[in-house]
Amino acid sequence: MESLSMEMPRVGVSQVLLHPDRRVGADMARWRSSGGGAALARAIQNPAAVLAEVKQADLRGLGGSGFPAWRKWEFVAAEAPKPDKYLIVNGNEDEPGTFKDRVLLEETPHQVIEGAVVTALAIGVNRVVFYTNPDLTRSLAAMKAAIEQWQASDLLAQASTALGRPMELQLLPGSGHYIGGEETASMEWVEGRFPFPRGKPPYPAQAGVHGCPTLINNVETIANVPHIVAQGAAWFRALGIGVGTGTKLYSLSGDVLHPGVFELPMGTPLRELIYTHGGGLLSGKPLKAVFTGGPSSTLLTPVDLDVAMDFDSLRARGANLGTGAMIVISEGTGIVKRVAEYERFFAHSSCGQCNSCKVGTATMSRLLDRIDTGCGTATDLTTLKNLCTMLPGSGRCHLINGAVQLLDSAFHHFPDEFKQALH
Amino acid sequence: MTTSNTTATESGQTPDVALTINGLAVNAHPGMSLVEAAWHGGVPQVTSVGCLEGVCGSCRVMLRRGKEVTVGLACQTFVEDNIEVVFMPPASAPQHHYEISDFKDGWDIHARFHKIFPEASRCRHCHGCDKACPKGITVENGVALAAAGRYREAGEAFFECVMCELCDAACPELIAPAHVGLFSRRVTAHFHLRPPNLIHRLEELRQERMETCRDEDNKK
Amino acid sequence: MSNGIPLAEALARYRADTDLAPPPALTDIDALLNAYHPDHLRDSVTKLAVGANAGDNCQRELAGLLQAEAFIDEADLAGAPVTDIDVLVIGGGGAGCAAALAAAENGARVLLATKLRLGDSNTVMAEGGIQAAIEPDDSIQRHIQDTLRGGHHLGDPALVSALAGDGPEVLHWLISQGMQFDQTPSGDLHTRRAGGMSTPRLVHCRDYTGLEMMRVLREAVIQHRSIEVWEQSPAVELLSNEVGQKCVGAVLTSLLDGQLRIVRTRSVILATGGLGRLHLNGFPTSNHLGATGDGLVLAYRIGARLCELDSFQYHPTGLAHPSHLAGKLVTEGVRAAGALLINGLGQRFIDELQPRDVVCAAILRECSEGRGVRVDDQHAGVWLDTPRLERANPGILEQQFTSLMTRTHVAGIDPRREPLLVHPTLHYQNGGAVIDVNGATTVPGLYAVGEVAGGIHGRNRLMGNALLEIISFGRRAGVAATADRDRGPKKVTLEHVNNLRRALTLAGMPMTQRAPQVLPAYAAGGIWNR
Ligand SMILES: Cc1cc2nc3c(=O)[nH]c(=O)nc-3n(C[C@H](O)[C@H](O)[C@H](O)COP(=O)(O)OP(=O)(O)OC[C@H]3O[C@@H](n4cnc5c(N)ncnc54)[C@H](O)[C@@H]3O)c2cc1C
Ligand SMILES: Cc1cc2nc3c(=O)[nH]c(=O)nc-3n(C[C@H](O)[C@H](O)[C@H](O)COP(=O)(O)O)c2cc1C
Ligand code: SF4
Ligand code: SF4
Ligand code: SF4
Ligand code: FES
Repeated sequence: MESLSMEMPRVGVSQVLLHPDRRVGADMARWRSSGGGAALARAIQNPAAVLAEVKQADLRGLGGSGFPAWRKWEFVAAEAPKPDKYLIVNGNEDEPGTFKDRVLLEETPHQVIEGAVVTALAIGVNRVVFYTNPDLTRSLAAMKAAIEQWQASDLLAQASTALGRPMELQLLPGSGHYIGGEETASMEWVEGRFPFPRGKPPYPAQAGVHGCPTLINNVETIANVPHIVAQGAAWFRALGIGVGTGTKLYSLSGDVLHPGVFELPMGTPLRELIYTHGGGLLSGKPLKAVFTGGPSSTLLTPVDLDVAMDFDSLRARGANLGTGAMIVISEGTGIVKRVAEYERFFAHSSCGQCNSCKVGTATMSRLLDRIDTGCGTATDLTTLKNLCTMLPGSGRCHLINGAVQLLDSAFHHFPDEFKQALH
Repeated sequence: MTTSNTTATESGQTPDVALTINGLAVNAHPGMSLVEAAWHGGVPQVTSVGCLEGVCGSCRVMLRRGKEVTVGLACQTFVEDNIEVVFMPPASAPQHHYEISDFKDGWDIHARFHKIFPEASRCRHCHGCDKACPKGITVENGVALAAAGRYREAGEAFFECVMCELCDAACPELIAPAHVGLFSRRVTAHFHLRPPNLIHRLEELRQERMETCRDEDNKK
Repeated sequence: MSNGIPLAEALARYRADTDLAPPPALTDIDALLNAYHPDHLRDSVTKLAVGANAGDNCQRELAGLLQAEAFIDEADLAGAPVTDIDVLVIGGGGAGCAAALAAAENGARVLLATKLRLGDSNTVMAEGGIQAAIEPDDSIQRHIQDTLRGGHHLGDPALVSALAGDGPEVLHWLISQGMQFDQTPSGDLHTRRAGGMSTPRLVHCRDYTGLEMMRVLREAVIQHRSIEVWEQSPAVELLSNEVGQKCVGAVLTSLLDGQLRIVRTRSVILATGGLGRLHLNGFPTSNHLGATGDGLVLAYRIGARLCELDSFQYHPTGLAHPSHLAGKLVTEGVRAAGALLINGLGQRFIDELQPRDVVCAAILRECSEGRGVRVDDQHAGVWLDTPRLERANPGILEQQFTSLMTRTHVAGIDPRREPLLVHPTLHYQNGGAVIDVNGATTVPGLYAVGEVAGGIHGRNRLMGNALLEIISFGRRAGVAATADRDRGPKKVTLEHVNNLRRALTLAGMPMTQRAPQVLPAYAAGGIWNR
């Protein structure tokens, strides 16, 4: 996965996060010389203004949910430290088709750290955890070097002074489990246990890591913060198209000529991503479908080519932007096989706490494998459909819902393919 | 005096429990098991059924009540209003292989166990197996005992196991607890059950046979 | 059965603490049996018209199936996938697993095809135990005598001595496969004495002997390199050579997709178990869902001789309530421990420790003469007075009858406080395919082992001999089937089916019914009314 993202060309029209000036790796001097640190300076001047600016900007959570970032910030800001407050910068990134956070961590570690420190100041956090996929060795190395540079520099000291207590930065490789990316699961891991999602309530904002108020945001969400603070909410909003605000890192993969991470205005139409930036489909084949969001979401089909890829427009279509991953498949690719592969991934990832999720995903995966290999029966198909109505909402976390949504959507768009594959 | 015996008198009346089985709406009598309800409601293809008394482990279902989804045995679960039931497909073939006749003595059994069930020492303590077990077996603890080489105790924990393999399906580490349990029980008998009364009788019979052979040889 | 004391009334009348008069003296056992035992009911028996047993008595419904049209025709087999294998075992209960393992140990490639799930069988439900003469004061000879006497001297002495002689070695083999048994403090195998035994001989694993046996054998089969298992794959026909006189394979179908498959082989071992689920004479049954007598039908059609087709074991105390346990056993041990049988008028009517067939007939008499407890138009029974037993021996039910307590607990019934409603239940098929000591039937290439085979138990089986039989004869057949290894079948045909059709037509018999039944009608998507 890592080498894939490295070899991929990356282009963009509105390059903010991936602007060439910022892609300097763990080189603090170069980062500062191109304006790095300006946002922190402003935040130190006036920490209270940060939240308001982010709210104005309508920054969304870019880890998949699209939940307004400022809402969570407000909750955490309102809580008193017990005795600490935590920020987890979520870079677990382990879904098929999503490979954006690793680029930010590896190539712009200082941008991510600045975003985190500014956020921490804004809501009174004293412990920042950079929670990173353990298999991404280059991301880890860059972050390690960058954090050491911060600890040695005056920046962190200034932030601590402004906060009124020492601010600690910690790099924590994750567990290697996809489920570790779920917010409460990451907290278990930070506390040193297997990343099992926790039940809610209590919500992380009240009692997260070690019972302390905890904010968790995605790497990309955090990386946007310095720019909003430095250039203002109006500038940020103007970057997007239509209802979208800011930019989005789309992870494009599958049967396209140029797969890669593309930073485009939030709300860019699917067509533009695939045909303009992605160079169209391989061998000029027609488009069949797009798995969105790292496959835990609904499918898009050619009729959706002009839909704006922002959270709200896609939701209005009954789809999801998710992490902005778009896995393109061309005519001739079997849907059943793809769905079977992804369900296998979910079955493999289920943490096991909920029988419904573990048994449900494993059963779906097995039945799909059977259907895909020509051994499936009509009963198998009925069982799959029945599971789709039975399972949603039955788990402690969203994994099971994503797994069902994907299958449900595949049934909806390609009913015949499942029937034809039957024994 | 008896609540349960009284329901029998009423069960001749119109069905009044409405539920869904394999996607079909079914009306059933109170007190019916899910298997009875499925057959009563004409649900086709309900053939993962065997003993009808909870000992064969065939009739595995997933069951939704409100938001909660659980697993269980259909012949041991009774109809309730508005529940959704899905009969599960047959379990997949086991992933662990051994033949007990390959075990020559018990001294290397610990090493062998971990070779056959390498996952057993990776239990993540999710309790999925315990929650899944329709017999209330302390599966997780059984696995831990086996991984620690305490096969007799582990096997004892699985005494009431009916081979439904729901724990196997529930285990994210693919430990196959049901088979760990059976392994533990089997090696305990294979290496340690040496009953004097049986051994004595076997030896008597062996000698009798030798004598008959000798007699026959002598005749020749 | 529509008359009788209504349940509520009978309940109101029931007291666990009244003094009961002893039952009336039993004057004429034969008259009782002749009048009420299902085997003796005039309408229940007919004579077979065609086949190897033409002229013999046979239970009427079974006769219908034995003389029925086949499911498949030559035409249905076009394009069916073919599998070649050394030995085909049909049936995944204890007998089938033992046979498969023995054949595999002897170098054969084995296919074990079973109707439902592997291990889903009558074997798994056996509670009591398995007989083997291992105690110092017991002997193989005594085991033989007891078995023959129990079967009213109608069992085949050669088979019985093979069975009894194998007992100790069968236990040895089961232990080496990993089966556990209860032990005495000094490490001996614990034995019990049960009906028909002159000395303690019943070896057991608490009251889960069949479950322990089945799960161990199932695991051994699944794990064996040379055994392939096909589940949900009932056999619907055997295959014969071009003259229809040697068994050379079978046709299997799939309950999942209905696909027919042909298996060509050197020998077929039938281990399909009993027929309780045919609900003969309208009786409930203690048997598992797959016990529909398919093996008898297949064997008869290919020309095998059967025996004792009019003799079945009805267990006196099957549960009549709750409905989901209808027909399920309350072990004889409860009566042995002192539980009484009481009719709807609150009276004892029979000495509870009489042989099974006698107790059975007495219960049926009470029900048909209006002294039973009436549940509804179809269901009636008598009380098994467990509360009285508990009063006399506090704690006995919990301690000695765990399995009964667990099963009733699930249904919300407490046998310590309420009596159990019981009715005789169809339990065991005494006869079956005629075999020799190797399990070979009268048709070359075809073996039959376990409940589907006959000749050992005469007209009455002793508790614990069935579990012994399935291992003893299962292994014998597995070895024998591997021994006669020829080059395999030249031709596989359905000629035997045509032979039977000819005979049926000549006898003027209708061919409207098809057999084997494979599943009871209610399980195939029909209405469940037992
Ligand atoms: C409740 C109960 C308690 C018992 N207790 C005792 C006891 O304590 N001691 C004792 O010795 N005996 C006992 N018995 C009797 C004994 O358990 C059985 O007689 C014996 O286990 C039969 O073994 P089997 O392998 O022949 O048949 P089963 O174990 O019934 O196995 C037959 C198998 O064949 C399969 N089959 C059937 N038809 C087909 C087909 N067409 N194609 C493919 N497969 C098919 C079935 O699904 C099943 O898996 C008891 C029986 C019952 C029902
Ligand atoms: C199964 C599962 C896996 C997840 N994995 C990740 C992940 O790898 N990275 C991530 O940022 N969010 C992941 N999330 C979403 C987080 O739970 C959380 O919503 C997110 O980190 C919040 O950040 P945001 O508000 O900035 O998007 C996952 C959620 C689920 C249910
Ligand atoms: S829904 Fe699945 S992944 Fe989430 S907590 Fe439950 S078992 Fe674990
Ligand atoms: S231990 Fe596993 S296989 Fe055994 S009864 Fe429990 S869930 Fe079923
Ligand atoms: S399901 Fe598996 S991993 Fe979870 S507790 Fe049980 S044995 Fe351990
Ligand atoms: S049918 Fe055997 S356990 Fe339910």
